[in-house]
Amino acid sequence: MLARLGRWAIERARGTGYAMGFLAQVVREILLFPRRRQVAFRVLVLQILFTGIEALGIVGLIALAIGAVIIVEGTTLLPRFGQSGLLHQILIVVITRELGPVLTAFVIIARSGTAIATELGNMVVSHEIEAYVSVGINPISYLAVPRVLGVTIAMVALTVYFNIFGLVGSYLVSQLVTPTPVAEYFRNLLATIQARDVLSTLVKGLVFGFIVSVVATFQGFKVKVAVTEIPRAAIKAVGQGFVLVFLADALITLITYV
Amino acid sequence: MSELISLRGVAVLTDGHESLCDVDLDITEGACTLVMGPSGSGKSTLLKVAAGLIPPDRGTVSLRGDDFGSLGERSLLAFRRTNGFVFQDGALWENKSIFENLALPLQVHFPELGADEIRDRVLAMLARGGLADSPSLRPAQLSGGERKIASFLRAAITGPSVVFLDEPTLSIDHTKTALITGMIRDLKAGGCTIFAVTHDPHLASLIADRLVVIDAGRIVVEGPFDAVKRDADPRVRAVLAQVLGEISSFDTDLLDLLDGGSP
Repeated sequence: MLARLGRWAIERARGTGYAMGFLAQVVREILLFPRRRQVAFRVLVLQILFTGIEALGIVGLIALAIGAVIIVEGTTLLPRFGQSGLLHQILIVVITRELGPVLTAFVIIARSGTAIATELGNMVVSHEIEAYVSVGINPISYLAVPRVLGVTIAMVALTVYFNIFGLVGSYLVSQLVTPTPVAEYFRNLLATIQARDVLSTLVKGLVFGFIVSVVATFQGFKVKVAVTEIPRAAIKAVGQGFVLVFLADALITLITYV
Repeated sequence: MSELISLRGVAVLTDGHESLCDVDLDITEGACTLVMGPSGSGKSTLLKVAAGLIPPDRGTVSLRGDDFGSLGERSLLAFRRTNGFVFQDGALWENKSIFENLALPLQVHFPELGADEIRDRVLAMLARGGLADSPSLRPAQLSGGERKIASFLRAAITGPSVVFLDEPTLSIDHTKTALITGMIRDLKAGGCTIFAVTHDPHLASLIADRLVVIDAGRIVVEGPFDAVKRDADPRVRAVLAQVLGEISSFDTDLLDLLDGGSP
């Protein structure tokens, strides 16, 4: 029992060390990316297109739905407790500070995280990664870094987009159910929002994008020989992505608001 | 001729068992060294270790006397610029077209050529390999033989001075075998160092200078091709019989096969 526990601990420590080594390599190659010959630039552009542009529809729809629900529920419930003025505060807290970055991260984990882990895993199994090494292309520099940068840039942009749709677009939707004077809504919204709210949402977008993409590329590269490892890599990319995003969210919220 | 790559006491562990064990081998610059052995004997692993794609778990692999593991990024890139590797399954990049598969090594190592020159070189190479009509196709759209040729063309497009070939003529028809054999002979005639794994006695008889016989991860014998193929050691005969028996009729003479006779 004790021996098994010890082996488990050693394996975990080894795995963590390997993951830290991978993270250090990614950071190093990100810093060197502008100086590298830009054959990977096209990969970066394609990643932004896939992660950012192709997710606009689903992210916009979720933002509209969440924002509209908060407005409809708020305008119905809050007056009963004499707290109508809290609606904008709740909108900012829920959409800008919390749900905007987190739900956007979930969408990206589900779409891009799984896609990246699956694609890279397939490339390992079919020896394509070895083929890159054989012609002198560093797989981390050529495959991981453009994906990490692409996902992170797209994540920040999508978080801003989620906020715009959640705060502005949802107002338009909610007018169908609960009409509210437009000038009053936006005046109160602007009076409520603070610089640190904007900063918080941007930092969360940046950190979540980095986490999701590094986890997905790591899990993809961790595939060894069998195609049966590929779905497991995708599942791990999702699971670890969710956990780390929640942890980072709590940490950033604590640092920003406590 | 000097030693280009040297392996000393090399061992590779795969899931706890030794794929390679205590391997000592020198790959001579400008020569063609062939590896023969039964399936699962560690030939492909040996090839990848020699090319620096798999680090050994024990022992050292050195390039002109310098340990691969201690080579700086610049030295390693300079070596990669001058070598090509043909994988057994082709290992073409599936998300790129055949044109892009061939163009990428040039874009990485010779960016000064410019897009037009790279395009001309790739199209000329594709024409030489009989793939002139396929530049925009994805690897999945090619036949097995065409994939093998595309993989060979990708390895050869940078004008390498050393190539690593893993079963370059395995599972392809006679015409494509002749095409690849011709291109390998051209590389050899140009002074290219060739380190290849093959079961093909005809190819061996045409290009081999040295022969390595491997079994169960250990080198059984290594030396000049003519000497090894006539080696009377029963163990060497048994391994070669096992290798060549896979493609020959039961009682075909082994020596005749390695001398270029038809299987």
